Amino acid sequence: MEARIILQIQIPWNPNRQSSRRPSLHLPRSFIRASSSTSQKPRSYKGPKPSTNLVADFISSNDDLARSLPIYVGGASLLAVLFNRTVSGIAPVADASSSQSRADLLALGLAVTNLLTGLVWLSIRPKSITPVNPEGVDCKVVDSDLPVSIVSELLWAWESLKVATCCKSLVIVYNGICLIQIGMVAESPQDKKRVIVNTDKLMQGSVYRGVMKSKAQSYLANLSLYPGRSELAFLPANTQAVILQPLGDKGIAVIGGNTIRGFTSSDQAWISSIGEKLDATLGRYFIDSAEGSRENY
Amino acid sequence: MSIRICNLPFNSSFAPQPRARISSRSTRVFARTENDTQQQLNLSVLRFTFGIPGLDESYLPRWLGYGFGSLLLLNHFSASAPINEPQLRSEALGLSLAAFSIALPYIGKFLKGSVVEQRTLPEEGEQVFVISSNIGDSLKEDLAWATYVLLRNTSTIAVLISVEGELCIRGYWNCPDQMLKAQLHDWFKKKVDEIGLADVKETLYFPQYEGSSASWDILPNGTRSLFVQPLIQDINEPQKMDGFLLVASTAGYAYSDKDRAWIGAMAEKFRG
Repeated sequence: MEARIILQIQIPWNPNRQSSRRPSLHLPRSFIRASSSTSQKPRSYKGPKPSTNLVADFISSNDDLARSLPIYVGGASLLAVLFNRTVSGIAPVADASSSQSRADLLALGLAVTNLLTGLVWLSIRPKSITPVNPEGVDCKVVDSDLPVSIVSELLWAWESLKVATCCKSLVIVYNGICLIQIGMVAESPQDKKRVIVNTDKLMQGSVYRGVMKSKAQSYLANLSLYPGRSELAFLPANTQAVILQPLGDKGIAVIGGNTIRGFTSSDQAWISSIGEKLDATLGRYFIDSAEGSRENY
Repeated sequence: MSIRICNLPFNSSFAPQPRARISSRSTRVFARTENDTQQQLNLSVLRFTFGIPGLDESYLPRWLGYGFGSLLLLNHFSASAPINEPQLRSEALGLSLAAFSIALPYIGKFLKGSVVEQRTLPEEGEQVFVISSNIGDSLKEDLAWATYVLLRNTSTIAVLISVEGELCIRGYWNCPDQMLKAQLHDWFKKKVDEIGLADVKETLYFPQYEGSSASWDILPNGTRSLFVQPLIQDINEPQKMDGFLLVASTAGYAYSDKDRAWIGAMAEKFRG
């Protein structure tokens, strides 16, 4: 926690500051271009190559087996110690009188340690939840009035969410307009096409109001338990988890996932960072366009 | 010594029923799993603890392995000769068990749900924030935001983004102080060219970085994890911008699959 505070104090994110910083070396542009053209071809990479860690790969892929391994090892060695005793004809008496007994006792102690460790590992096994395929139609609808840079930023946000999380649907509403509706979308029963986002209904609903009031991200880890489900009718009916990210105080991003509790805390942090960025970009665009239209009057 | 069973408000997916006679307390544990939420990771688990704060009991098998193994050897050498065969057999069994116990914490690190090491900030050295002045404002803003977010959301302490040769450097780096920003940028550029990082074709991940040749000394002391993500993914799209993204952390195994997916998504932003 201390680390974060230090970073926040010493690195204020203020983009305007960067543009006003004066570089102390004023090299003419042509000179810089010339020097970069001579180093067109990058030097080949000389450095360590990553090595494969067989143990790590094996354990990551055979998680259940690795968890129960200490139990089998401990149990087998317990039996082996007793077997050794009986086979060699020494009475199985657990006292520390002879060195044989002492060695056996130590081996038994280690076997018990392994057994207990195996039990602990088994008890902290996280439950695996299977993802549920969302029912609906695939769609990609972007508001046509947006400039290319905004569209590419929104599409970048969608690609990142799709690759890094269990997100399957994304809807962004800003300034009362649905800017993008992408991914799996609920299918309307009448005409078998996508359900269009009713922004008025959304913005008057309790879900939107609650998020705007708290100004914080809302994570509905199991959507079926949530009563406000009906306000998100544009999401596929069997969407499992939803994150509602406010974009400043003018917009909201609705992110639907296909697994209950599918978004980890790291995902939540990344999504709120992306939300701040989108708010900055969209806010600037809408302010500029509002000023532009005001000038035209 | 006590066996402490922690009680859980929800999420009864984790194991055993708490016994009545053992006092229950709740603990907050930060674990790396695919399905967790940050607040209240109260788990109903079987935990074995001495109750001493600050003592990490997951290394207990290792200490027991060393302790019992050395006692076995002591027993072996203090026994009066000749040592009969059954004793040799049980000593061999005990020693192999000790070796296995010593390796147990290492194996446990790779299981799902294991606790991730926290990063430590380097004691000496200042943070730097250098951004090239030859790029447009929107790209500068994107770079500043991306580096800030990488430092905040992962256990990174140093990040370097290169887009077509122009660098943005942020975090703790091992660079000469008392240098002006523009000179620092050129110094980093020279070092990066020496290493040849612009030529990297695929992602590089070093979870147990031990230190390397001279040119890599720009990385701060205590770097344990290193991840390099090139912007170009295939050579068939030459019009895309090339460059790379480098993140370093002082924690070992700092970048899980999910972290690397997100870092890749950040790199996508600069591909153009």
